[in-house]
Amino acid sequence: MENVVSLVKVSKNYVLGKTIVHALQHVSLQIARGDFITIAGPSGSGKTTLLNLIGCVDVATSGQVVINGNDTHDLKERQLTELRLNTIGFIFQSFNLVSVLSVYQNVEFPLLLQGRLSVEERKSRVMDLLKKVGIDNHSKHRPNELSGGQRQRVAIARALVTRPKIVLADEPTANLDSKTGETIIDLMKEMNELEKTTFIFSTHDARVMAHAKTIVNIADGRIVGSMSSPARKIAAKKSPAKKSFGKSEKKSPSRPVKISK
Amino acid sequence: MKQLFLIAIRNLVQHRKRSLLLGGAICGVTMLLVFLLSLSSGVRKAMFEAATTIQTGHINVAGFYKVTAGRSAPVVTDYNKVIDVIQKSLPDVEYIVPRGRGWARIVSDTGSIQAGLAGVNLSGEPYLQKVLHLVSGNFSGLNQPGTALIFETQAKKLGVKVGDMIIISSLMPNGTNNTLDLRVAGIAQDVGMFSMFSIFIPQSAINQLYQINENNTGALYVYIKNIQNLPRDMDILRKSLANAGYSLMDSDPRAFWFKFDSVNREDWTGQKLDLTTWEEEISFMKWTLTALDGLTYILTMILLFIIVIGIMNSMWIAINERTREIGTLRAIGMHRRRVMAMFVIEAFTLSAIATFAGAVLGLLVAGILHISHIHIPTGAQVFLMANTLKFSFNFVRVLGGMSLIISATTLISLIPSLRAARLKPVTAMQHK
Repeated sequence: MENVVSLVKVSKNYVLGKTIVHALQHVSLQIARGDFITIAGPSGSGKTTLLNLIGCVDVATSGQVVINGNDTHDLKERQLTELRLNTIGFIFQSFNLVSVLSVYQNVEFPLLLQGRLSVEERKSRVMDLLKKVGIDNHSKHRPNELSGGQRQRVAIARALVTRPKIVLADEPTANLDSKTGETIIDLMKEMNELEKTTFIFSTHDARVMAHAKTIVNIADGRIVGSMSSPARKIAAKKSPAKKSFGKSEKKSPSRPVKISK
Repeated sequence: MKQLFLIAIRNLVQHRKRSLLLGGAICGVTMLLVFLLSLSSGVRKAMFEAATTIQTGHINVAGFYKVTAGRSAPVVTDYNKVIDVIQKSLPDVEYIVPRGRGWARIVSDTGSIQAGLAGVNLSGEPYLQKVLHLVSGNFSGLNQPGTALIFETQAKKLGVKVGDMIIISSLMPNGTNNTLDLRVAGIAQDVGMFSMFSIFIPQSAINQLYQINENNTGALYVYIKNIQNLPRDMDILRKSLANAGYSLMDSDPRAFWFKFDSVNREDWTGQKLDLTTWEEEISFMKWTLTALDGLTYILTMILLFIIVIGIMNSMWIAINERTREIGTLRAIGMHRRRVMAMFVIEAFTLSAIATFAGAVLGLLVAGILHISHIHIPTGAQVFLMANTLKFSFNFVRVLGGMSLIISATTLISLIPSLRAARLKPVTAMQHK
């Protein structure tokens, strides 16, 4: 299966005063198209740094980051922006919607940045997505008139509107209650199956992890383990306490994932 | 672009307190600028109207006549021939009027003043009656021989009213005084400095006083249809008159009356014509306009500097507040130049709306003051060429002023906008 993300011996260091923080160390990871993968780990483990590198909003100190066949090291700022616009969708922990724009305008915004579709085409695509995420009756509302769950639905619609190959979600349920969080994860999974978009999200919530087809565990800037669906089913049988609750997980086909440390 | 405008407008509305404060400052500066520009235009217009009807035409064709090398008189001999040359050479000419000129003491029973004499033929001067506003008497009286039209201040100094007699006494080149008895036919409102030094009498009275032929006059006031053609027409006229055999004074931007001393020192006799523009004729008074324009410029620059600093500070705050938003927009694929455009558009929108409001308010205040006919103190009247405050709307100058403010505020917004655009998405998104 084709890989949309390929990281080879990637490291990322931050300089804090006289201290060098090794946020990521020699991480190698391949993610296949259509995967629904979670980056799991405690706070400060490097999840966000890893997502930032995959999302091309940050650059690696060393190693190779290839996104949809593009080696990000070779790309200029302008090309990286284009890559983000056309290939990657973002879902943020704090939703990060433009407060002065309506739900419809927020979702439409990336399409306007692309400038490829006509007004009618944009309208059709935005309304279609708003229906899919169940927020079409709030299209004229401003973000501050919506609940957290509704805002995250808008963020999901915005992330998907350009039909990206990859959607990155940094702790998308962290600011939501558990029930809403579960609904959002279900929605993401539904979109993953419907649109065949690769979803990569970070979390340290075990219940959210349970929905993933693949779990990559990260600690101290290193990948310490990974598990795909079949392996997790076996593990779940051995340890009933870790049984996952997501119904979609049962339907998930196994996906190959290559992990190298 | 439409979406960027929408974001700009909504952000301005969302931070309405800050927008109102800054917009109010821009509005105030624009209002002051437009007000001062309207005042300056009003003074310029009043000066132009007064000067070109009382003191000079658009082009002043005056003459020095010297019987001996050391004595000159303000005379254009056989002026009808000169008029012929002007009319044939200048297609742009509207009309030409002869104006007799002299200098005399005006004496009444209770006082006396010195004044320039303007010999007029009212039927040939369509604009004179529009510029002069009579407070008593009528213009038709001036068509009769032996009459005079004087100004309010002169009437007060002389202690005369319409119907009273005055004597004008002028020193002749041979050292004798010629006098003439005239009846006051009208008293006009003062029009600045001109009304201090001029009285109007019929052309025939001037001829009688100086005992000069009716074919001679003091100067020809040439009025052209398009004042923009003045430099070109001056050039044509100089060449045409020279070709017609007239001797011309060298081009000298001083007013006619200031040239007597130098002309008297020159070693020639006979007639020489002196061509000047209306601006040259009143050049000794143009400092009032320069001063007014200078004041406008300095005030505008100081206030503009203040609002430019305000805009920049306000944008730094806005960028700081919206750093996460910038990071998000950059992450979802907004290019740097669009981020920059977003903030520049915001500054431009605020500036354009406030400037427009300021211009409307400034014009409104100027308009109200104009129709209120606010009296100017006598001292200021001399320089402002009017007895009431006059404002005039000059579209080009107002538009220029507005463009200056909008450009300055928009340009200065480039600095913080550039900084916003250069923010790394990852840094901006982590901003708290």
